[in-house]
Amino acid sequence: MSDDVEAANAGGQGDERPPGWRLTRRTFLAGCAAVAGTAAVAGKFVDETFLGGLQPAAAAAPTVPEQLVRTGHSNNCDGACGHLVHLADGKVKLVEGAPYDKTTIDGRLIPQSYPPRICLRGVAQLENLYSGDRIKYPYKRVGERGSGKWQRIGWDEASTMIADNLQKVQAKSGKDSVWIAPYTGSLSVLEGVVGVGFRFASAIGAVAGDFEGDNEGDSATPAGWNYVLVDPTNPSNGGGFFDGHESTDFLSSKVIVLWANNVAETSIPDWRVMKDAQAQGATVVSIDPRFTATSAGSDAWLPVRPGTDTALIDGIINYVIQNKLFDAPYLRKYTVAPYLVNPKTHKWLRTGDVGLAGDDYVVATGSGKVVAAKGAGTPQLLGSFKAGSFTAPTAMQVLADAVAKYTPDYAASLTDIPAADILALAKLWGTTHPVGIRAGFALSHWYYGDLTMQAMLTLQALTGNIGVHGGGVTTFAGGLTTLAFDLPAWWAPTGTTLFTVMEPMQACDAMLSDKPHPLRAAWFMVDNYAQQMSDRNKVVKALKSLDFLVVSDYVMSATADLADVVLPACTYLEKTDLLSSNSFYLQYMPTAVQPLWESKSDLDAVTMVAKKMGVGQYFDKTPDEYLTELLHIGDPAGADSTVTGLTWEQLKGGAPHMNMPTVPYVPFFNKEFPTKSGKIEFYVEMLVPYGQEVCDYKEPIEASASNPLAKKYPLTFLSTHTKFRTHSQYCDLPWLNEVTANGQGFLEINPKDAQARGLAEGQVVRVFNDRGEMKVYAKLTESIKPGVVNCYQGGWDTLAVKQYVEGHPNNLTHQLANPAQSLIPNFPSNAAYYDCLVQVEGA
Amino acid sequence: MSPSFVGVDVPDPKLQKATRLGMVVDQNRCIGCWSCAVGCKEQQNVGIGLYWLRVLTVGGPFMDTPAGTFPDVTMSYQSTNCFHCDNPPCVKACPTQATYKMPNGIVNVNYERCIGCRYCMVACPYDNRVFNWRKPVQEPPASVTVVGETPARPKGVVEKCTFCVQRVTDGLLPRCVVVCPTGARTFGDLDDPTSEVSVLLRDRPSYVVFPERGTRPSLHYLIRTGPNAVGGAL
Repeated sequence: MSDDVEAANAGGQGDERPPGWRLTRRTFLAGCAAVAGTAAVAGKFVDETFLGGLQPAAAAAPTVPEQLVRTGHSNNCDGACGHLVHLADGKVKLVEGAPYDKTTIDGRLIPQSYPPRICLRGVAQLENLYSGDRIKYPYKRVGERGSGKWQRIGWDEASTMIADNLQKVQAKSGKDSVWIAPYTGSLSVLEGVVGVGFRFASAIGAVAGDFEGDNEGDSATPAGWNYVLVDPTNPSNGGGFFDGHESTDFLSSKVIVLWANNVAETSIPDWRVMKDAQAQGATVVSIDPRFTATSAGSDAWLPVRPGTDTALIDGIINYVIQNKLFDAPYLRKYTVAPYLVNPKTHKWLRTGDVGLAGDDYVVATGSGKVVAAKGAGTPQLLGSFKAGSFTAPTAMQVLADAVAKYTPDYAASLTDIPAADILALAKLWGTTHPVGIRAGFALSHWYYGDLTMQAMLTLQALTGNIGVHGGGVTTFAGGLTTLAFDLPAWWAPTGTTLFTVMEPMQACDAMLSDKPHPLRAAWFMVDNYAQQMSDRNKVVKALKSLDFLVVSDYVMSATADLADVVLPACTYLEKTDLLSSNSFYLQYMPTAVQPLWESKSDLDAVTMVAKKMGVGQYFDKTPDEYLTELLHIGDPAGADSTVTGLTWEQLKGGAPHMNMPTVPYVPFFNKEFPTKSGKIEFYVEMLVPYGQEVCDYKEPIEASASNPLAKKYPLTFLSTHTKFRTHSQYCDLPWLNEVTANGQGFLEINPKDAQARGLAEGQVVRVFNDRGEMKVYAKLTESIKPGVVNCYQGGWDTLAVKQYVEGHPNNLTHQLANPAQSLIPNFPSNAAYYDCLVQVEGA
Repeated sequence: MSPSFVGVDVPDPKLQKATRLGMVVDQNRCIGCWSCAVGCKEQQNVGIGLYWLRVLTVGGPFMDTPAGTFPDVTMSYQSTNCFHCDNPPCVKACPTQATYKMPNGIVNVNYERCIGCRYCMVACPYDNRVFNWRKPVQEPPASVTVVGETPARPKGVVEKCTFCVQRVTDGLLPRCVVVCPTGARTFGDLDDPTSEVSVLLRDRPSYVVFPERGTRPSLHYLIRTGPNAVGGAL
């Protein structure tokens, strides 16, 4: 039957198919898809076998050919899954994982190309697209802000309202009083994290924020990465960047350390790589205060006291140094280990400081003679040396001294991990090569998350694990793909001035006290700031103080609840875009189905408003035209080397891999580090004013045992991710919710802690601190460390849907940021969600 | 040039010729993510509240909770669908031959013959069958999801996993096998000694559920190996 269909189509409508579409063998009964309620017809078996020969075969019905569209799931889960979307009769019928190309753009074969990848959230996109909970039309507020009283309006009225109000606010309070906030709800290029909102901000002179990863709690570890590996003051580094090893590179690891990284729940398709590596002999270690599916599938689990990870690393570093398990040639060649430090200023000792000619770092030779670093042969790594009037230690000696106190016993006392296990891990680290770390963003949800990353890189530098296959410290891969795009021209087309960055961590203060900009209006796109930002009570107060608030979303989020105008946004299946983040594959996202109801892409919405604000000339192109400009397709001279030679045929025909110098991609494979010294700077001179020049553990700002506040609020409060949603997306999907009692939130608490408070399984409890409270059902589980509680973040607390009994985890979190991070322009502040103390009692 | 995408489904004629189809689920790889269960819903229009495939936690009393006392805890997952037994008690119990064994080993259901007596549910030791108490609620509606391939189930019949019989007949793998993000599921002919399932069962320790019942399930679990206690292999 289906062969006939293919034959029929070959001579017929085949030519009319848009590029990138394919027919498949599967076909659909015509009419069934179009007419609801024809289940009886649809239900007929088409193969006699199924009927055991007892029923007549279904009449040969005319069929609708199935079409396939390849797209990328641009949602913010680090999966970068390619989706193969099956369509018939204009409707999406099925979503499955799509194949990836086996070659790079320039034709090199990829040793381990991604297999098709998808998880439950990807499969459920079918439901997300057709969800009855979609915002279907534009609305304007008619009651008090946040009262839930809306009036449906048309796009013309909505865009006029937005244009008029933004102009009014800018006339009254200045250009910079408008904040355009496109975030990471989507990681595609034209919309989302580097998307059209920034171009719009440049066109109207608004502030915008932010593009590089300061999406609330994900910039502490990137800042730490830049301290050690990147010179943020060098303009060619663009204010700092962040990248990791391509997922498949872990197949080269001998040891994989999943540090605060619940891969099996949050980056599900990557678990396959971990398991493949394990099957070929790699040891997988999970470090997590919770016993997760990841811990259960690892070879070892170390339940660390939250916030003390740096102390654990320092314990390992100390062991590696004490037992001379470091990679001395690597340290001399690629790191600042032998450079001498001025003992008074703690800055680098320069040749001029000790009466030597030139301007260079200073090292000590084998005989202890102090010379310029360049051409010094085999300098000393450890020790202090007489240099002029100084006795100057090497950078590595400073490190060794700083971590000397972290004996296995002392590290054990801080981390609650048995000394024997610390010793075993340290031995494994020092004697096995390569060791790769997957560092979860959980580490970034701490005030000193930057220090933890600094410590990990220090350990990896000592053991020669940076810039090698199977090593490194990876949080996600593909951050560098933004290099492929001509972002300056995209964000600030000729005639405009590049927007000023406005960090989400600054925004509440800006709204409440006019610093650094007097924010009076905001437009949120792909962002649920009112729920996902920390210290939610402050956030809501700040948002309510605005003169005008626009929210584009496809569901009625907590942020949309507070808006003056709500715009119906498209899902990833209803617009044209490109996904590159989180892998090195370029995944073109064609419009698979026309926008449902009256939804519009953010690009179209911005274009409408821009025209009414007199800046329509910057928004006069189609998505494909923007992408052509962004990637310089057909313009090899202008294209970044990672995409040179790219054609539209490649983009629309599959998922080509970028021309990365190594595949799988390894950052700094050439060992050229864009730091001041050109080497790995595990001694960070610019951090001297912060007392953070080496990775000596510091106690969490709030969630430490020694904090007097811990008497009142003794429990560390985590708000981790669940596999059943991505942040606050997909909270309403029936396939996901039926497993989880409608996404009902719960508080994981150890039975010991529950017993001490007289709490029973399933009881409603009140979680509180000085900043706020929430109510939620208690779940007593032995998976969580005593003294720690966890409530999955992201469940909805909107006017219409309450997935916690009352409130949201972010009612409890704070907005304290480590000022050291301000040294890295792109990662200047961070929400330390987990550095948070609470008390729990029966409600 | 980059290869064009041709879909994930490449028919395997061996599946069409199979005489004893079986499935192997690797508990070393299964992470209890429910992707198989959701993929099953997508493929088969299984109604809300009903599962042809569900994921059991081997551990504590609730989903994703471990056995033991912190930190000495263990947990694994048993992703469970119809075992398509070689000696299926459901087939024997069915008074109308609505449930029957196919020549390829699949235990299938003819919903038009099913009278909803639920004897099969009582006979199944594994709780792998579900009953349509009311008109199935499908989200998104059946007008959207795959139709024409999967029979609609009216109110009052028993339904269950069919190993995606319509796909297998075309030489394609069941949806749960295709969708599994970790590669935990393998499918093939247990009578073919060279099939992947046969090789896995030869090479790795495995078990079936309740062997003492004599049902001879065609779904085998590769036993979870390796430590997951504190310190573990360190």
